[in-house]
Amino acid sequence: MEKETAAIQKRLQAEVESYQSVQKDFQKLVQQRQILIGQLNENECVMDELNLLKGDNKVFKLFGPVLVKQDLEESRQNVGKRMEYIKKEVDRTNNNLESLEKKLAKHRDSLQKLQQQIKILT
Amino acid sequence: MSSDKNEQGEQIDLTKLNLQQLQQLKSEFEQELNMFQESLQTLQKCKGKYANSREVLESISPDWKDKQILVPLTSSMYVPGLIKEVDNFIIDIGTGYYIERDLDTSRDYFKRKVDYVQEQVDKLEKIQQTKSRFLAAVCEVMELHQQQAIQQMKQQGLA
Repeated sequence: MEKETAAIQKRLQAEVESYQSVQKDFQKLVQQRQILIGQLNENECVMDELNLLKGDNKVFKLFGPVLVKQDLEESRQNVGKRMEYIKKEVDRTNNNLESLEKKLAKHRDSLQKLQQQIKILT
Repeated sequence: MSSDKNEQGEQIDLTKLNLQQLQQLKSEFEQELNMFQESLQTLQKCKGKYANSREVLESISPDWKDKQILVPLTSSMYVPGLIKEVDNFIIDIGTGYYIERDLDTSRDYFKRKVDYVQEQVDKLEKIQQTKSRFLAAVCEVMELHQQQAIQQMKQQGLA
């Protein structure tokens, strides 16, 4: 009897540990998504401004300490591309979060089962 | 009115929760509220920066042209300079992009930005208010639980 409980307890502990590690990954991803969304917002603001400009307005981009003159149309394209890329990254992170969510649910299930087993045994 | 309804719906759910769940909910709400507070501070700072640029623009007048100024190279060293254009500003619009705009459109830019940030602040404050109302509701139900527990103990003591 006691041996059995000890074995289950061990499994329970292992399960808790893996649950926590998945939880940590989950939180990391949530943070990552937050940063990505922030970047997307910033790029959107830049795009809005660029779209307000007329052809004769000058655009510069900061490279290190210097401002380099840019073509307006090119800048729009670049910001657009950057936004697409970030959007894809956000989607990817969302997918990862979903699968992690499923993993977490599974872990929760098995945790509950183990806890019940212990309750029955003790 | 709709937010009141929402709160009521939340309260009905709350009474079904046990004390531990309520406590968890409470700490979650508290964490969220803290985050909101931080975001609000950041937004206010941001708004201040934009508002500052806007004020500086207001002080610029056309007769500044060809005026001599001292350009700071460091905080304690300057070189003399001459204002050649008073109708041309380069604005940082984010992600490393800078654009050249004249006085009017620059003013417009900063006004828009201040308004935009203010809008976000307003939105956040609204959410914050509903959240703190939820938090208050959770605390109320928790107190109810505690009172019930005390009464039960008393009754058991009497019996």
